[in-house]
Amino acid sequence: MNTPLETRIVRALNAIVGPDHVVTDPERLVVYESDGLTSYRVIPLAVVLPATTEEVAAVVKLLHGEGIPVVPRGAGTGLSGGALPSADGVVVGTARMNRILEIDSDNRIARLQPGVVNAHLTVAAKPYSLYYAPDPSSQSTCTLGGNVAENSGGPHCLKYGVTQRYVTGLTVVLPSGEVIRLGGAGRSARGALDLVGLFVGSEGCFGIATEIEVKLLPVTEGVRTLLGIFETMEAAGHAVTAIISEGLLPAAVEIVDNATIRAVEASVYAGGFPVDAGAALVIEFDGTEAGLDADADRAEACCRQAGASEVKRATEATQRAALWNGRKKAFGAMGRIAPDLLVQDATVPRTRLPEVLARITEIGERYELKVANVFHAGDGNLHPNILFDRNDPDELDRVERASKEIMCLCVEVGGTITGEHGVGVDKRGYMQLVLGEVEIEAMRAVKRIFDPSGLFNPGKVLPDPASPPVPAEASA
Amino acid sequence: MPSVTHTASVATAALAGAVEAQKERLLPCVHCGFCLPACPTYTRLGNEADSPRGRLHLMKAVVEGRLDAGSEAFRTHIDRCLGCRACEPVCPSGVEYGTLLELARHTATSKVPPGWLTRGLLAVMASPFLRGALFLGGRVLRVTGLAALGAKLVPALGPLRNARLGLAMLAATSPWRPPGRTSGSAAAQPMVPAGSRPTVAVLVGCVQEGLYSRVNDATIRTLVANGFEVVPVAGQDCCGALHAHGGDLERARSLARRNLDVFTAAGVELVVVNTAGCGAAMKDYDALLEDDEAYAERAKDFAARVRDATEILAEVGPRPGAPIQTSVAYDHPCHLLHAQRIEQAPLDVLAAVPELDVRVIANASECCGGAGIYGLTHPDLGGRIGGDKVRSVRAAGADAACTPNPGCMMQIGAGLRLEGAREGVVHPVELLDESYRRAGFYNGADG
Repeated sequence: MNTPLETRIVRALNAIVGPDHVVTDPERLVVYESDGLTSYRVIPLAVVLPATTEEVAAVVKLLHGEGIPVVPRGAGTGLSGGALPSADGVVVGTARMNRILEIDSDNRIARLQPGVVNAHLTVAAKPYSLYYAPDPSSQSTCTLGGNVAENSGGPHCLKYGVTQRYVTGLTVVLPSGEVIRLGGAGRSARGALDLVGLFVGSEGCFGIATEIEVKLLPVTEGVRTLLGIFETMEAAGHAVTAIISEGLLPAAVEIVDNATIRAVEASVYAGGFPVDAGAALVIEFDGTEAGLDADADRAEACCRQAGASEVKRATEATQRAALWNGRKKAFGAMGRIAPDLLVQDATVPRTRLPEVLARITEIGERYELKVANVFHAGDGNLHPNILFDRNDPDELDRVERASKEIMCLCVEVGGTITGEHGVGVDKRGYMQLVLGEVEIEAMRAVKRIFDPSGLFNPGKVLPDPASPPVPAEASA
Repeated sequence: MPSVTHTASVATAALAGAVEAQKERLLPCVHCGFCLPACPTYTRLGNEADSPRGRLHLMKAVVEGRLDAGSEAFRTHIDRCLGCRACEPVCPSGVEYGTLLELARHTATSKVPPGWLTRGLLAVMASPFLRGALFLGGRVLRVTGLAALGAKLVPALGPLRNARLGLAMLAATSPWRPPGRTSGSAAAQPMVPAGSRPTVAVLVGCVQEGLYSRVNDATIRTLVANGFEVVPVAGQDCCGALHAHGGDLERARSLARRNLDVFTAAGVELVVVNTAGCGAAMKDYDALLEDDEAYAERAKDFAARVRDATEILAEVGPRPGAPIQTSVAYDHPCHLLHAQRIEQAPLDVLAAVPELDVRVIANASECCGGAGIYGLTHPDLGGRIGGDKVRSVRAAGADAACTPNPGCMMQIGAGLRLEGAREGVVHPVELLDESYRRAGFYNGADG
């Protein structure tokens, strides 16, 4: 048990944000002990919910002066424990900073606070026939501030790229409490070192973004959505490889396996996936109308050649929405299958997909674990979901070992340890699998520039200098 | 004394049962957070303890023995939930939040009883005599105009502000008459032969009977006009929704058993409910009575026979009546949209009124802040949520607000009245009834 925050500090926090927005009661702090990854739980000393850049700056400055660690938090939907509190630290949440400040439709730019929900931005941009492209599966609830921290992707980043491509300006409260403005209003990063690019994806280690400027895209003219049905995951994997080597550029290619299909179809987000299918592919093309049908025909041919039993097209907007809803809510729907769930996130070269999928199945069988796969196949971003019950210690142990083995497998075939969920606390131990000490030390040096006292999101991303690499036998 | 010991052990057993029932139902929550933006309290307060995921986490902590159910933290955040269940339709795991909330409130109130206002209202609602007296008083205040006058005169701030809201709610139950008169032009519409459809009973309810008996009458008339045979059922009682929401599960169960007995004895095929909150509660009688050996099976069968009035009318495609030239701002009651997942039926009913201009308001899927007695127990937050709703209603620029639930009608009506707005409030079935009256459907034998 940590010593509680001194009354003097609590009073000072109260004075900055108002007592209603400071939580120090341990019984209430329980709700903040995890983010979307519940296998880690730490109760912080306090949670502070500021409403403005000035309040964030004052809070951070105060805590910095007291030498108290700070953990930034958006909606707490992250899956790598990036917003896991520090036991001796204070969580600074952006939930109240949820206003869209401006939509400049002529320049296709939006300015907003970090607590704005990703999907709400697209809703607000719709009257101008614009939208915000990065669409993480949690977009109905995750916030832009979290997206900036994690450099979030999503199904459509296959064609459109990830968050970094869309962030043009940031107001950042540095760990010292200083406020800096990076890029913005068409200045972009040109003519200067690209600090916006450096900040995006820094996983809350460099400061808190309190105002974000992003690019919006015009809504595309046409869209074609295909649903390919396969008997096996391997066959679906072959279809993905074929589509990419055909030279096609789909907006998204997503794969769902049978276990996932069953969970989703039992939920309110039933998308119309056939429950007997071994695997299904959702393939989408978008852009100007001309050529879309030809692209869809070619992708259909690839699926059939790979052994698809059926290829359907979503002809109605509602069908398309249902398929996507089913796909995007799959993680939550897993709660129907098992009480606990470990979502892995790794990437592999797309050409190795069929082989990797077969080996993941084998690993699951060997450890007697249920593994459900649902992921962004088009860019080789895997999400094997290991289903378990934490109350079974033996199973928990097998989950950890299987998880490590899957990770080592992905690295072995030329992939890496995270596709989009970030390193957070969960993948920290895997960093040495893909990076040498020199690279890691370079990252530590950059971190020190932003956060010389090491008080911002401590214990995340970068491994401690002393920590040993993951045991080699895990990859055997 | 043995009887005291016995009572205490029964209460302990009930509490243990409630905790056990929560344990199972909490398992599907994977903490994904998809419920956060749907929650009216979280979006306004920003504190995760006031979000569905946070409340479920608090329930988990109680079940795991890490948190005392009597703690101020648990009671406050569980109590601050509107119970609107907007988190349920967005939950990929299908967490039964509504049932969990009732169990959690039961657990919390078993440790520390709720405030006098809640206890008093629940006791009154459970007694036909007491609530009869209360509503009689209410009708006197309404008819004499004292309620409306009081709502105007009592200051908005200060010790009497709850009384002001109560009086405004009462005044808001006054009927609203759409403009225009009888046209009779739709009399040529084909008649539906009397009794050609299932035999049904109508729940008269507590608030509904006391303050909105005209909606009950309209329900019966429109059902008959659409070929249903409506059987009066004596001895029925309050549905128990308010008690279940308040955590008084014992009283809720006893009311449920009484209703189950009398409606079953009446031998009707379906039970029609014109209040969204009561319909949702009665459709959940199976969960409420799942541990009652004598009633569990019957409750399942009964729950499957409950229909919202707009649901049953929309199912048969209500016959159109005479035109009414007016506009209404429609708002979804949470317990119809989220709890019963009924969105289209009330709009279908309104569509059977020719020339009626129906405008679904912005954010119609969000709670109005009425939430049973929430407006009275949480005047600040309830008032803030209600204020947003009133703004949406007024932005629609219609002649009246329209919603099929008395709590919402009173909350929205009170909000409009306190702002000095001219819009009235009306139940969709009332409009259908007026349309039928103007068409002359009730002049013949079937009226």
